[in-house]
Amino acid sequence: MENGHTREIKNPGPFEIPAQLRTLLMFFVAVGGAVFLGGLWFDARRTWFSFIHNHFFFLSLGLGGLFFAALQWLTGAMWSAPVRRISESFTAYLPVAILSFVILYFGIHHLYIWSHPEQVKGDLILEGKAGYLSVGFFMVRNLIALGLWLFFAHKMVGSSLAQDRDGNFSYTAKNRILAPIFMILFAISYTMASFDQLMSLDPHWFSTIFGVYCFSGLFYANLASTCVLAVYLKRKGALEGIVNENHLHDLGKFMFAFTVFWAYIGFSQFMLIWYANLPEETGYFLHRFHSSWIYISFFLLLGKFLVPFFALLPRDAKRNEGRLLGVGIFMLFAQWVDILWLVQPEYSASGPVIGVIELGIPLGFLGVFGLVVARFLGKHNIVAIRDPKLVESVLHHHQ
Amino acid sequence: MEQNNPTPGNGLKPPELSGVIGFFDAPDLLISATRKAREAKYRDFDAYTPYPVHGLEAAQGIKRSPIPYVTFLAGITGCAAAFALQYWTSAVDWPLNVGGKPFNSWPAFVPVMFELTILFGGLSTFAALLFFCRLPNARKRNFDPRLTSDRFALMIEAPLHGEDPEEAEEILKAGGFQKFSEEEAKGFLKSVGAKEVRTVYAEGWF
Repeated sequence: MENGHTREIKNPGPFEIPAQLRTLLMFFVAVGGAVFLGGLWFDARRTWFSFIHNHFFFLSLGLGGLFFAALQWLTGAMWSAPVRRISESFTAYLPVAILSFVILYFGIHHLYIWSHPEQVKGDLILEGKAGYLSVGFFMVRNLIALGLWLFFAHKMVGSSLAQDRDGNFSYTAKNRILAPIFMILFAISYTMASFDQLMSLDPHWFSTIFGVYCFSGLFYANLASTCVLAVYLKRKGALEGIVNENHLHDLGKFMFAFTVFWAYIGFSQFMLIWYANLPEETGYFLHRFHSSWIYISFFLLLGKFLVPFFALLPRDAKRNEGRLLGVGIFMLFAQWVDILWLVQPEYSASGPVIGVIELGIPLGFLGVFGLVVARFLGKHNIVAIRDPKLVESVLHHHQ
Repeated sequence: MEQNNPTPGNGLKPPELSGVIGFFDAPDLLISATRKAREAKYRDFDAYTPYPVHGLEAAQGIKRSPIPYVTFLAGITGCAAAFALQYWTSAVDWPLNVGGKPFNSWPAFVPVMFELTILFGGLSTFAALLFFCRLPNARKRNFDPRLTSDRFALMIEAPLHGEDPEEAEEILKAGGFQKFSEEEAKGFLKSVGAKEVRTVYAEGWF
């Protein structure tokens, strides 16, 4: 604490990822692109199912970055100031998400039975939903949502970056006004996006908690990815004197809490449907329990909840960067499996299908995601260096 | 302020010296004084603050509390007890057909298992906190009324209090801690920046 108030924090500046890693990511993009194009020729329906799985997973990672940053401005949090920029960097993916949604337009007929008028005709439930589930409306409202997210990312992350130059408090003040507006719009639009893009894969089924379920996964994955990237940058020495085990401890607590939150929401959805036992609702879980999908269902209980729960329960685990890195990567994998579990039973009811298509396409998305985030980190400071809370946050934890 | 302490030689049993206390005006002064007290190998000392001060436990060298283990075990017990209660009542003692579901319908038990995990964990944490902090203790007195508003204090206690004297003597000889003397401890507190130093006599706990 001595002389603490006048201490300057050394600006770590931008971060250049190693050339080998960049080459690897480019290789991933090439593999993903080749598999996607080959897959369309080989088995278009299966390829589109894999495409929407990974589209939604990475869209949620990018949007999660904005949600986390907005949450910090909304609450005026102090602890998170040194890691907020890392989360902001994920929003660099949002323009790509718009592109991948536009590409998805060409797969609508492979994915959604509601897009076939001849299948809707005569089906009372689908006829009733036809006004909402139509290709034009689907595209328009989801593009509006994506545009809205990109707009807020541009405004809020833009203010955060501008503050790096002159340290003007008005940027924080602006974000404090935008953040609550974003939160409300985010809650509505992300619920809509998850209903439209994932839940309508089975248009007969409905669950009002589905949006919250997807949100719990979004925040879960965001905390894990922020933690993984923070530990990576720390190990590269880029966060020297800024992020220490106390900040990682706080992130670890958040990861732990939202592991429980996901389980809570997942169980809430399951238990009400199980209890009421209504035919139009139970089919969803019957597909996922009465086939080899049951193994994936058990994996989610174990791998998405119990393993991270016990791995992060002790205090020392949350302060150990190696443990956090391992658990974070595992949590991202579990989230990826969870989206697979939401999407793929509509393609293959008898059990999960994992082949070149299902492994190649995520590599392509991972490559693109990695490259755009790396570009962001290479262009901007990796820490919001003039954030009004930064000095306090770094010192608070050094005391 | 000295009148708070019983004066020796007033005809009653002479009060026992329990330590010396030094007062500070700011939390960072207290933290650095506490660190120095630990470095000087005083065996028993404690800090008093009007609100939780970040970093004080580290300066005092306090070990991690055993309370989390109590919470963990109690939580597991609560979870198991809730399952046992529901299993026994709905599948063994009084089986009822509810909506055609099996008697042992575990999904229906989960909310109660969750609640009892929290209930057992929470109440046990509270009980363990009272136990480890030796609370409630109505006899423990406040050394200074301002300790609950704007003053910070470090008390160096006279050791060998209620301990095996031979064992204590051995640790002392091995250099395990510093021998306590009232004058020396007062001088130490002044040297680390205490604004005011007093002697504390046994009363209640002390």
